Amino acid sequence: MIEPTWRLPPIPVLLVGVVLIACAELGGGAMAQFKLELARWARGTMLARPEVHGLVGVRDVDEQILDEALVKLDGGLRLFHLHAEGMGTIIIVTAMVATSLVGRSALRRTIVALIMVGGAGYPLGYLLWSGLIPFHGIARSKRLAEWLVWIPFGSAAIVAMWLLAGALAAQWLGGRRSGDAA
Amino acid sequence: MRRPPILLVLVAVVMLALGETAGALLSPLRPAVERYARARVAANAAAHGLTGSAEYDDEVRNRAVFTAEAGISFFHTHAEGLAPVILLAGTIVASVVAGRRARGILFGLLTVGALFPLGYVVYALAALEAGREAGVALAERYVLTPLGASAIMALLGLVVILGRAARTSQPAR
Repeated sequence: MIEPTWRLPPIPVLLVGVVLIACAELGGGAMAQFKLELARWARGTMLARPEVHGLVGVRDVDEQILDEALVKLDGGLRLFHLHAEGMGTIIIVTAMVATSLVGRSALRRTIVALIMVGGAGYPLGYLLWSGLIPFHGIARSKRLAEWLVWIPFGSAAIVAMWLLAGALAAQWLGGRRSGDAA
Repeated sequence: MRRPPILLVLVAVVMLALGETAGALLSPLRPAVERYARARVAANAAAHGLTGSAEYDDEVRNRAVFTAEAGISFFHTHAEGLAPVILLAGTIVASVVAGRRARGILFGLLTVGALFPLGYVVYALAALEAGREAGVALAERYVLTPLGASAIMALLGLVVILGRAARTSQPAR
């Protein structure tokens, strides 16, 4: 019998969710506080690697390339902030739903582990992307972040969500059938 | 804290799952989405007012594709954001609203309101099938407004019930 109250998810899962939200808050603050320093560092790093960024030594052309890279770097940090805030909340909420409503313990543990790992890892891809842009350029950094972080961790989170949805649907249908039988 | 009915939880979790999956469409699958959108605009040339003039048609096509991608992006953000709000509101209703009938109405409104982000999928598809302006208007009128109103009414109802409970300084349950 599953109680009609929420059950607390495992403490390590709560910790991961809260740490992620705290990192997002810190990231948002740091982005605003160190915006100039970050831009200076990124610009210097890119100027030291002209061949990576296709810099040609013509000011008008190079400034446009550098500006685009800086906009993407800033965008990556903003997306980290947004996704970490969102995924931290989703880790806590979905782990609570799974802990309270998924009866089979192996399935419950799988869902909670996948959402915790996938949800916590995915936003870090945006940090990685931003950090790599000055060294590898926009496109190569994006490919690296996609293959190293977004695809594996994002897939884990998506699989966890659909497993949870399937488990809840099965339980809801089971409840309706037993209601019909009664 | 009490939990809301399993149907409400199921709808919220399905919306989260759909929202996460839509996120993948925005990044690694973006080229496929763009190809599909361009093909649908070409198949519905009259609805989009394509004239055969390459420059004008390119502009119309780009705007329609941008609208479809924006629809998917709005769906992603709203599904991920609204589902936890619905779960939280449902938990508050389950925990503090005393009347069985009032609880049932609020749960019903919240469950329907949880479907609000699907309006943006309709927005994206309708913009491609019926033309940009007509498609967006259709999605807003027939899907986004009713579903959004349902969520808003549920939250206002909860505010009223909590307000009354606060005035009498006793728990509503």
